[in-house]
Amino acid sequence: MERTHTRRPHGRRLPRRLLATVGLFTLAASALTACASGKATDDKAGTATASAAAGSDSGAKSNGKVSVYVIGGKADDPFWSAVKRGGEDAAKVVKAGGGSVTFLGPQNYDNLGPDAAKLTLTALSQNPSAIVVPDWVPDSQDAAIKQAVAKGVKVFVYNSGGVEAARRTGGLKYIGSDDYEAGKAGGVKFAESGAKNILCVNTVPGAANSEARCKGIADGAKSKGATSKQLPLPSSNFGNPSAVTQAIKGALLKDSSVDALVTIGVQDADSAASAIEQAKAGDKVKLGTFDLSTSQLNRIKAGKQLFAIDQQPYLQGFYAVSIANQYLSYGVIPPQNPLLTGPLLVTSDNVAAAIAGTAAGVR
Amino acid sequence: MTSSLPDTVGITAETTAESAPDVSALKRTESPLGRLRHRPEAGALIGTISVFVFFAIFGGEKFLAAAGAASWLNIAAELGIIAIPVGLLMIAGELDVSVGSVLAGSSMTLAIVSGHWGAPMIVGIVLALGLGLLIGLLNGIIVTRTNVPSLVVTLATMAGVAGLTLGLSRVATGTTSVAISPDPFSKAVFGQLIGGQFEVAIFWWIGIAVLVSVVLQMMPYGNWIFAIGGDKESARATGIPVTKVKIALYMASGFGAALVGVIQTILYNGAQVANGQSFVFNSIIAVVIGGVLLTGGYGSVIGIALGTLTFAIVNQGIYYTGWNSDWASLILGVLILTAVLMNNTFRRLALSYKPRSAKKV
Repeated sequence: MERTHTRRPHGRRLPRRLLATVGLFTLAASALTACASGKATDDKAGTATASAAAGSDSGAKSNGKVSVYVIGGKADDPFWSAVKRGGEDAAKVVKAGGGSVTFLGPQNYDNLGPDAAKLTLTALSQNPSAIVVPDWVPDSQDAAIKQAVAKGVKVFVYNSGGVEAARRTGGLKYIGSDDYEAGKAGGVKFAESGAKNILCVNTVPGAANSEARCKGIADGAKSKGATSKQLPLPSSNFGNPSAVTQAIKGALLKDSSVDALVTIGVQDADSAASAIEQAKAGDKVKLGTFDLSTSQLNRIKAGKQLFAIDQQPYLQGFYAVSIANQYLSYGVIPPQNPLLTGPLLVTSDNVAAAIAGTAAGVR
Repeated sequence: MTSSLPDTVGITAETTAESAPDVSALKRTESPLGRLRHRPEAGALIGTISVFVFFAIFGGEKFLAAAGAASWLNIAAELGIIAIPVGLLMIAGELDVSVGSVLAGSSMTLAIVSGHWGAPMIVGIVLALGLGLLIGLLNGIIVTRTNVPSLVVTLATMAGVAGLTLGLSRVATGTTSVAISPDPFSKAVFGQLIGGQFEVAIFWWIGIAVLVSVVLQMMPYGNWIFAIGGDKESARATGIPVTKVKIALYMASGFGAALVGVIQTILYNGAQVANGQSFVFNSIIAVVIGGVLLTGGYGSVIGIALGTLTFAIVNQGIYYTGWNSDWASLILGVLILTAVLMNNTFRRLALSYKPRSAKKV
């Protein structure tokens, strides 16, 4: 069944050179993979799933009227379509007052930081009265945001970057969720439901937001007497649900004291649910995840999942635009900074409302 | 194990009239273990056994139980379905790094056609597998018609197909992740968990391995592939249809990747645009651990299968040890290097089998 081929005495074709090329491309490809992982992180955080062109809502210029520019993702992205939906609902009030709200988004997220910075400058060139912008990649975007602040434009950072980004760039407020706080809420919920040993499955170890999520889970659990450790999955498993599923199953079989699993994104949660089934640990291991999807909500409804942590994207769009408008029109502003839109835990108690919200396009 | 090529080669190439009897006498006296030492997959076999024993010791009974075995068999099966045709290509001296994109493309095709648009499952499956064959055909034609290295060609199709998949998925469905509810028949054929543990992909893998072994053994194709990998020009000069063989091999690797795409989509009831890229380098790793030469002309299906098993055991074994899995990639790296060095040694032994024995006499 096996065969060998004798090597010719001389003149193998491109041996060393080919090897070197492969090496080079391996490097290039791992760099690519790294980018892809980074992208996925954002994806999981539901922050940077941005893409595609400006969903321009109105072109009205600011002639003494309120003109708000909102930078976000493409409307057909489920997460960003909910953000935009909130922004549009708030825009109704702005328009009633004669102002305008314009939504902008990058073409794709291959080059997110620089693209978002350019969008900020595009918005700035329209002489807006306020810009609402996520600080996805501070290193690339901060300069553009500061430029807007320096020109007297009111800047509100939302969705990504946290209150530090607002303080650093001179933005008035941060409106959004906080990965660490969201994790804490999940850890507390687990502990209160009787979990003692929580495993945080991190498919993008080393990324700031996924690490913050797992750390939050651990600290939340600790405050209620439970413990949590991380299961980092190497990038060689990235994008392969079978590898993620089998790895989680292995970890569950190895450590039978694990009684709760939390994942940093919804695709991993689907893998984790399958792993729990294959490890035959359904009655013992509780499942939770960050972010929402239909399959999460269905499992929560069926009693197979404890919770999903919602950062409430609708509120991010709604509050950001409302607060910008209210501040510009009447000078009123809520004192909280950051103004948190999450976490909200979706559990069996409120899952019906969440499913209704998904159907309405706001969750 | 019928014709062992080293013997024939050794006799024809190296023996002279007076040394021939000695050689056959030597052959008879050598123990089975000694002969194994000269098989091309000896290194790969030792690798598989060592990592298995290693993780059996540190992973304990859970690793050895059915669920533990399912862990690495499932991973090996999915990877193996891609690694076998990729390995054949590498034996023929070519690379295919587009398999990850083909996997994503085929799984999105199935999910969109049968899930989003609601066509019968069989239509989606046929289109998904057809896509794999089509991209393979394209790869094969470009590689054989131009003199561009296959790495570059398939790198281009990798990027192109990934972009096409993302773009078309957005246009067709507006999202990058599409759900599907497979009917019981396709679930049973492609995405069942036997005993709640073992993927049917394992049988696909075994089936493909047997089929390919038979082709390599019984048909001229097998010899052609080795000959092309050894020296394309000589192969062509002796009348081997180099172009046709290469195109067929690319179509095989496209088909393998598409098949895994179908399997994963049906198994997980949905497809994601970003899936599959991990298979690109994992398949090359498995093939290299299995003793195939990156430069072509040398390797075997058994070796590739063993390399795939080794990779899967390492990939999953660490989760049964309870060690911090931060180190998983490091262990993999050490393993690859060790395997390649070991394979080099065994390859030297395999290729020097007859000449060396003959000289001793």
